[in-house]
Amino acid sequence: MIELLDELVPPFAGDGDWNDVLRRAGRRSRRPVLLAAAVFAVAAVVVGPALGVLLTRHTVPQLPKEADKKNIVVIMQPLTGRIVVQAAPWKGHDGICYVLLFKRAACVPRTARGTEVVTPPIAGYTFDSRVVAGTAVTFSGKHVPLQVVHFPKLNVTFFLRKGRLPAFFARATLTDASGKVVARYTFKH
Amino acid sequence: MTDQLEALYRARLPEFRRVAAAIAGDRELGCDAVQEAFAKAVRNARSFRGTGSLEAWVWRIVVNAARDARRRRPVLAEPSDHGTNGHTPVLPLELLTERQREIVFLHYYADLDYAAIAEALAISPGTVGATLTAARQTLRGALQEVQT
Repeated sequence: MIELLDELVPPFAGDGDWNDVLRRAGRRSRRPVLLAAAVFAVAAVVVGPALGVLLTRHTVPQLPKEADKKNIVVIMQPLTGRIVVQAAPWKGHDGICYVLLFKRAACVPRTARGTEVVTPPIAGYTFDSRVVAGTAVTFSGKHVPLQVVHFPKLNVTFFLRKGRLPAFFARATLTDASGKVVARYTFKH
Repeated sequence: MTDQLEALYRARLPEFRRVAAAIAGDRELGCDAVQEAFAKAVRNARSFRGTGSLEAWVWRIVVNAARDARRRRPVLAEPSDHGTNGHTPVLPLELLTERQREIVFLHYYADLDYAAIAEALAISPGTVGATLTAARQTLRGALQEVQT
């Protein structure tokens, strides 16, 4: 019966057209912005090949297809409403799939102290259930608290910079409820 | 909210389209229904109360849009005989009620569990389970008749 259902409506492929959705909704399309970006990208290619490669890159990391998309959790930036983290269980595995700031996407197995940090800007996840807070330290020595969000359903904790903090940090620490450091990272930019 | 809807659209578009196409009875109408449904969701985002999941709320809008598309679809003459004549059998979906078909599509094409389907169709999970069992029995019985 499942085979017959598969034949009845074969699977779809493609990314769709979100701008069409916005147009139908009567919202301003992002197309002009994209067009301006494309023009700027072309100009940048003329100015500098390296910058050109960066700006004309088409692929934005998405949540991997192995993710259980029925159970997605997200973190939104309060000021902009932009989604900066998406995560979901990894189908058939004890682990998670995630997208961080649309910069890095992967599926990773759960390990007791597994942690990953992406910089810049600073963001990451940890399976270490002791972590409840985090602090990053700028090169000038300024300590800035990190936003730390625990997702009980996935049993994972994400951490990232709050709002418009400096993008480059010298080091970061993750701490438990008593303030004890449970993980420490040093960055070289 | 629009960003959350966009993330959902990008994450689950193939499933939304497949279910909508199945309900509408046409791939293009299904795709169009999904676009319309998300546009409606963007317009009415404020009416989402947050008591259930956003995805279930969107599924309900998509299912309604696909139903509307099916009703507007031009009526074509369709073969009524599902005899095989040596060919691969087809699913006799016309033996199912509209509700049974929708639940079958949501379960098999979107991989939604009973609770999610129940939320999307505003019915109880028990009703989903009973309806799905009845639909399976009907289809299996019809397929056996065709194949024997």
